[in-house]
Amino acid sequence: MKFVVSIVCVAIINMGMAGAASAAIVDTAVLVTPDRAVDMSVVRTQLDRADVRAKMEEMGIEAADIDRRLASLNDRELHRLAADMQNAPAGGADAVWIVGAVFIVLIILELTGVIDIFKKA
Amino acid sequence: MEKRAVMMAARVAFLAATAFLLSACVTREPFIPANLPPGAQARVELESTPFFPQKKYQCGPAALAAVLGASNVDTTPEALVPIVYLPARHGSLQVEMQAAPRKFGRLSYPLSRNLDTVLAELNAGRPVLVLHNYGLPFWPRWHYAVVIGYDSATDKFILRSGKKRRAEWRARTFMVAWHNGGRGATVVLRPGEIAASANPTLYLEAAADFERGATPAESLLAFDAAVKRWPEEPMAWIGRGNAEYRAGNFANAAHDYAAAVRLDPDNAGAGNNLAQSLLDLGCPGRAREQLAPVNVDALAPALRAAVLDTRRRIEAAGASPVSDPSRCSPQS
Repeated sequence: MKFVVSIVCVAIINMGMAGAASAAIVDTAVLVTPDRAVDMSVVRTQLDRADVRAKMEEMGIEAADIDRRLASLNDRELHRLAADMQNAPAGGADAVWIVGAVFIVLIILELTGVIDIFKKA
Repeated sequence: MEKRAVMMAARVAFLAATAFLLSACVTREPFIPANLPPGAQARVELESTPFFPQKKYQCGPAALAAVLGASNVDTTPEALVPIVYLPARHGSLQVEMQAAPRKFGRLSYPLSRNLDTVLAELNAGRPVLVLHNYGLPFWPRWHYAVVIGYDSATDKFILRSGKKRRAEWRARTFMVAWHNGGRGATVVLRPGEIAASANPTLYLEAAADFERGATPAESLLAFDAAVKRWPEEPMAWIGRGNAEYRAGNFANAAHDYAAAVRLDPDNAGAGNNLAQSLLDLGCPGRAREQLAPVNVDALAPALRAAVLDTRRRIEAAGASPVSDPSRCSPQS
């Protein structure tokens, strides 16, 4: 309960800030692709931010680095990060793995019909 | 006797299979020559691209340090680990790899998923960060590497990858891993630089993302290049106008917004920003005129709020007399 309250507080505080920032001229990022989900409610974005922060801590990132990482993400990227953290490709394969994996993949690809992929490419 | 027949049949089947596979090899078309853009060199190798051997699971920071280094950003994989490495996943996510160059005053430009764009960037002297998948659908092994060149005669790519400073890969092998990795490819751009294969939508999105953390001067460089490359794109003018506005150059901003409005009269964002800059120039009358035809009910909420806000500020400014008529007509 305490957690929910704190999230809502953060959301409300940030809502005020976002309102102030959007005064005067409209940001390029808001206009550049109208179909980007710009109307997504600010509260939802801020909830995501809190959510991502909690997940990042869980995944072993130092608290001091989390803000720095989140600061450069736009809302769209933040949503993607929230969704990606559990399952999306995280490049990091090791050299030893690679040698073995490449070998298996190449054999299988050469023997099966996967070659077709490239006729279109 | 029967056993011999079976052996014979097996031998024939084996030879037929071998012949089939060999013929498949022979008819394969080379990848690189088929995708070379017009005017491209037959062979490219960007030897000056820095190399950082990766530490366990940390190909992301190593590959990123290489492409940033090639764009004159002085950094190391160690400095990038806290920015892009996810310990629990033993790797780096694309979305963070994509965002990282912006922390160093660089644009991150995602290439369209075709091989010709990769070859075009290499020709322009830019190494390309790629995501590979060396695994299988049920057992993916993701890896970031940097393409630094190619040789169309041998149909090979040259990479900085993992612990290898220089790896030569058959184009076919590269394509399998790249294709299975979703064909993700990124180049790092200095503000003002535009990718060789750039498409206005992708570039302007990249520039808008860059703007978030950039100074107005840096944004100005990025959007000024866009205005010069695509003068028919309203968004390029709006972006440059916003950079001018944030730098306090309201007259330049009004000029750019007016150009955007001319190209796209229904663009309420451009109209709103033009009205705001006119107001800042001390022209509330012209600002009011600019927003008069806008039907706010038809606008998306964020835009509607901005236009209503601007209208309120115009009314608050009152109908003060125009002090300098010339600067109130940026269109002329």
